[in-house]
Amino acid sequence: MSYPELQKLGVEVISVSVDSPFVHKIWNEQELSKMVDGGVPFIMASDMGGKIGSLYGVYDDEGGVDIRGRFLIDPEGVVQAMEVLTPPVGRNDAELLRQIQAFQHHQATGEVVPAGWQPGKSTLKPSTALAGNVWKEWQPKK
Amino acid sequence: MNARVGKVAPNFTTRAFHKGEIKEISLEDYRGKWVVLCFYPGDFTFV
Repeated sequence: MSYPELQKLGVEVISVSVDSPFVHKIWNEQELSKMVDGGVPFIMASDMGGKIGSLYGVYDDEGGVDIRGRFLIDPEGVVQAMEVLTPPVGRNDAELLRQIQAFQHHQATGEVVPAGWQPGKSTLKPSTALAGNVWKEWQPKK
Repeated sequence: MNARVGKVAPNFTTRAFHKGEIKEISLEDYRGKWVVLCFYPGDFTFV
């Protein structure tokens, strides 16, 4: 995960699995610190029993594990985005970064962010006059 | 209640490992910051 980029955006990362905090510690020491300099920088939370996963609708009680669910929570504590995948496929943090930048842009300016937006591309200012005229301001190909 | 977009994220308190220490955390401790909450199936797996 591109943790330095997330830090620049003021984002705290909390990972959650059903492993105990001691297992997180050993996993970090034995394996992850050999893949990431200095080990895992973010918070590794323990969800033994799956109560947290159940609250978020991602606990699989057949497997006894939390499936891959990612929730983006804003500074007011409101869930702004979520993505849930079955276990065999990992996530793509480029899309996560784009969504954070888009929500931060919206919260800072009140502007809304069209599909496929990237930082630096145009956004829209909602108004009565804009209704029916989005095509003048924004074209999907541009 | 399950998490939904546009609604306040369900709070929880649990133990966590962070920077060499095991400590208790609550989601509410992070009000004022953006938070990415990432669930995954388990340590020592492959993806």
